[in-house]
Amino acid sequence: MGILQKLHALPAWIRWPLYALIGIFLLTVVQSISGTDRLTQVSTSREMLRWAVPIFLAGLGGLFSERAGVVNIGLEGMLILGMWFGAWGSIEYGAWWGLVIGMAGGGLGGLLHAIATVTFQVDHIISGVAINILAPAIARYLSDEIWASPTTSPRTSSVGDLDVPFIAGGSIFGWESPDVLLEIGKAEWWFVSDVADLARGLLRGTHWVAIIAVLLVPATTWLIWRTRFGLRLRIAGENPAAGEAQGINIVRYKYVAVIISGALAGLGGAFISTELSGLFQGGNSAGRGFIGLAALIFGNWRPGGVLAGALLFGYVFGLDLKDLDGTASHALLLVNTVVLGAVLVWALKRRRTTDAVLAGILGSAAFVWWLSADAVPSWWSNILPYVLVLLVLVFFSQRLRAPAKLGEPYRKGS
Amino acid sequence: MSAVIELTGITKRFPGVVANDEVNLTVERGEIHAICGENGAGKSTLMKILYGMQQADEGTMKVDGEVVTFNSPNDAIDAGIGMVHQHFMLADQLTVLENVVLGAEPVRVGGAIDFKEAKAHLAEVGADYGLTIDPDDMVETLEVGERQRVEIIKVLYRGAQILILDEPTAVLVPQEVEALFDNMRELKAGGATILFIDHKLDEVLEISDSITILRQGKTVATLKNDGVTAHDLAELMVGSELPSPETGESTVTDHVALSVRDVTVVDDDGRSVIENINLTIHKGEILGIAGVEGNGQAELVDAIIGTAAISHGIVELLGTDITSMSVRKRRESGIAYVPEDRHHEGLMLQAPLWENAALGHQTQKPYGSKWFMNRDGARAQTELIREQFDVRTPNIDVAAHALSGGNQQKLIIGRELTSDPSLLLAAHPTRGIDVGAQAAVWEQIRDARAAGLATLLISADLDELIGLSDTIVVMLRGRMVARLAPSDVTPRDLGAYMTGAASQDEPNHDQRRVVQ
Repeated sequence: MGILQKLHALPAWIRWPLYALIGIFLLTVVQSISGTDRLTQVSTSREMLRWAVPIFLAGLGGLFSERAGVVNIGLEGMLILGMWFGAWGSIEYGAWWGLVIGMAGGGLGGLLHAIATVTFQVDHIISGVAINILAPAIARYLSDEIWASPTTSPRTSSVGDLDVPFIAGGSIFGWESPDVLLEIGKAEWWFVSDVADLARGLLRGTHWVAIIAVLLVPATTWLIWRTRFGLRLRIAGENPAAGEAQGINIVRYKYVAVIISGALAGLGGAFISTELSGLFQGGNSAGRGFIGLAALIFGNWRPGGVLAGALLFGYVFGLDLKDLDGTASHALLLVNTVVLGAVLVWALKRRRTTDAVLAGILGSAAFVWWLSADAVPSWWSNILPYVLVLLVLVFFSQRLRAPAKLGEPYRKGS
Repeated sequence: MSAVIELTGITKRFPGVVANDEVNLTVERGEIHAICGENGAGKSTLMKILYGMQQADEGTMKVDGEVVTFNSPNDAIDAGIGMVHQHFMLADQLTVLENVVLGAEPVRVGGAIDFKEAKAHLAEVGADYGLTIDPDDMVETLEVGERQRVEIIKVLYRGAQILILDEPTAVLVPQEVEALFDNMRELKAGGATILFIDHKLDEVLEISDSITILRQGKTVATLKNDGVTAHDLAELMVGSELPSPETGESTVTDHVALSVRDVTVVDDDGRSVIENINLTIHKGEILGIAGVEGNGQAELVDAIIGTAAISHGIVELLGTDITSMSVRKRRESGIAYVPEDRHHEGLMLQAPLWENAALGHQTQKPYGSKWFMNRDGARAQTELIREQFDVRTPNIDVAAHALSGGNQQKLIIGRELTSDPSLLLAAHPTRGIDVGAQAAVWEQIRDARAAGLATLLISADLDELIGLSDTIVVMLRGRMVARLAPSDVTPRDLGAYMTGAASQDEPNHDQRRVVQ
C-alpha cells in the first residue's frame, strides 16, 4: 500500500519509465528461468513499436471521440479507410501527402459516424459496426476501380525512419555516431543489456510516424486538459446539457471530436499501408482498430494510458511474430502468473475476496499451463490483448472512469 | 424604479399543449421576484424562454427597456441574465473551477485556458457576494448546498446582474435554505435582481419582494409581498385551499409487518453505508425516514428490496426471514416499491402503459405467470389502475414518457398498491409532481394505511413526512440518530437532527416509546 501510494506521488516522467524498468526486470527474470532469449531482443521491441503505433493512434482517436461522449467502435473501419487513402495519396502525391490524405480518409469515416450518431442519433454501436462493414467494402471497390485489383495496390513510398544519433548509431551529416546501446547490448550484462536491447529496438529505425505518435501524448494531454477546446470537448462527454446551458455548441464539438477521431485512426491506417507494408493490402489492419479501443479502456481514457496499453498489446503481438515455435509466448505465461500473483496480494490487502480468489485461480492456471507445456499455440497471443482488457475490467473497473454520458444520445434543448 | 425585465404576451405552444398563454411579467431592478404555480403551470417554460433556451412563439421581451430576442443562452448571458437550473448543470468529474469557467474561459494565445486568471476572478466574485468554495475540488465530492453555490458562482462569474433560480430550495434541508436565503439577500444588496421559482409558499413569503402567480400557462396575478398570506397565494395557484398530508386517526396495529434487525450494508470499498439499523413497522403504520439525501436512506431501501447485499443483520417480512431471498421472491411475497427515480427505476419510458403496469409483477396474476405474460389480464388490470388512480391518459397504449410526471407517478402507485402488498417502500412518492397529483398520492397512501398496509416512507418534503408518518426516524451518515413522534416535531427540529446539529441518545433502544 505504502509503496503504491509513493509511486503514485512521483511525477509522470519518472513514474512511467520506472514502471517500464520494473516490467523489463520481470521479463529478464522470467527469461532467465525459461530459457528463451526473445523476450528482450532488439527485434522484439522493434516489432512491438511497429504494432503499437497503429493501435495507439486508433486508441487516441477513440479518446477524442469518447471524451466527447461518442462511442467509436468504427475505429477499425476508419483505420481501413486510412490504409486505402494513405496508400493512394502516397502513390499519387508522395509519402507525406499519403499520411495527410490517409487522415482525411479516416476523417471522412469519422464524419459519417458523426452524422449518424450526433445528427440522426443512431445508436453508436450500430453506426460503428456499419462503418466497419462499409469501410473494407469501399476500399475493395476503390482498389478495383483505380488499381484494377480488389485487394492490393502498387508499391507506396514511405516517409522513412530515423536512427537516433549517439545512442543508437544514427548518422549526422554523413558522420556515423557511436551506437552505445549496441555496445551495451553486446556486453551481455544481466538486465542492463536487456534494457539496452529493448531501447535500441525503439530508437533505431524509428518511424517518423512513431515519433509523431509519441509526441501526441503530451500534445493531447495539453489539448484536452489545458485548453478551452479541450474543456468544451470534455463537457460534451460529461454533461452536454450543462455545456449547452453555457451557450456551448455541443453538436459542433462532438462533430469535431469524432472527425479528429477518424483522422487519427486514419493516420494509423496510413502508417500500416505506407510505412509497414509498403502497399495497400486488404486485411492488413489485423483488427488493430478494435485493439485500439481495448487500449483506450485499458488506459482509462487517458493518452499516457492508451500508449501504455498499445505498447503492451504491441509487445504481445510483436513477440508472437518472430516466435514460430511458441516458446517465447509460452514464457509470457510465467509473466502472467507473477502479475496475477501481485494482483492476488493487492486484493488480499484490500480484503477483496472474490478478486483474490479469481486472481489465484487464473494465476495458478497460467502457472500449471506453463509447467505442463513447452510452447503455446499462436491463437493464444492473438487473444491475449483481449484477455488483458477483460482482466483489467474485472479487477480494476472501479478505478476506470469513462466519460459520464458516454454513448448516450444527446438532443439539443432537452 | 425601472422595470429591468418586461415580458408581454409571451405564448409558447408545444404539440398538444399551450405552455405559456399570453404571459406578462414585469420585474423591477434589485428585487427578489418569486414565480409561483403548480407543476405544469408554465413557470419553467417561461424561465427557459427568458434564458434563451427556448423561443417564444409570440410576445415581446424587454431587458432594461430594450426589446431583445434570445436565440440561445449566449444571447441571454450577454444581456446579463444567468440561470441556475433545478437539476444542477454540473459535470461531476470536472473541478469546480472547470465547471465555473466553462463557456467563459479566459484564454491565452493558443487557446490554453488561463487558470490563474480564472481563479483570481472566481475569488473576486466569491468575495463580492460572500460565497466561498475551493476551486480545485472535484464537483462529485461536494454536498448539495455547495453544488448550488457553484451554480450561483458560475452565473455571477459571467457578470450576470439578473439571476434566475429554478426551484432552488427543492433539494435543500431547512438550514441550507436559510443559508441560500442569506446568499440571496447579499446578492440583492450587491445590486442583483433575482427571479426564482418556488412551490413552498412560506419560503416565497419569507424572501420575495414581489410574487407572480401562473396557473395553466396564464398569469393570474402579480402581487407585492405586503400583507399577502400563504392562503391567498394557494387559492390563486390552485383555485382552492391547499391540500394537507394529515393522516388523522392512528391505524397502527400490533402485528409486525417488517422487522429490520441490526442491518449493515457496506459499499465496494468496505465502508458501511448503513450501520446497525433497527426498525419495526406494524401493519397500518407509516414509518417516515428523514435525512439529507445520501445518508443511507437509499441503501436502506435497497437492503429491504434486495438490491444491496446485507453484510450482517436480518430482514423479516411478516415473520419470515427474507434476508437471503432474491428481489423477485421478495416482490412476490408482498413488498411494493415506489422507487426514488421513476424514470430510471420505475418505468420503461418507451414502452406502453400496460407493459409498465406489469413491471415488477410480471410473474404474478393477472399480469402473467412464471414464463408468459397475460396480455389481456395485464391490459384489463391497467385499465383498472387508470380508473381507480385517475391516471390521465388517452389510452393505455401510449408510451410512458408521454404522461406528465404526476400521472406517471399515479400509475406507479397504482401498480404497487393494486398488487395487494403487505409492505410499501415509498421513496419520494410526490417528488416533482403538482399539488393535485400530490394530494391524490397522499390520499391513496392514507387509504392503504387504513386498510392495514405497512409503509416505509422516505421524503425530502418534511411537511409530507410529518403529516403522513406515524413515527419518524432520522438518518445521518448511515445511522439512525433520532426517533420522533410527528405530533411534537417541526420541520426545523427535523432539520437540526438531519444535519447533526441536534442528537438523541440511543434511538435504537426506545422503540416502544412513540410507536403507539
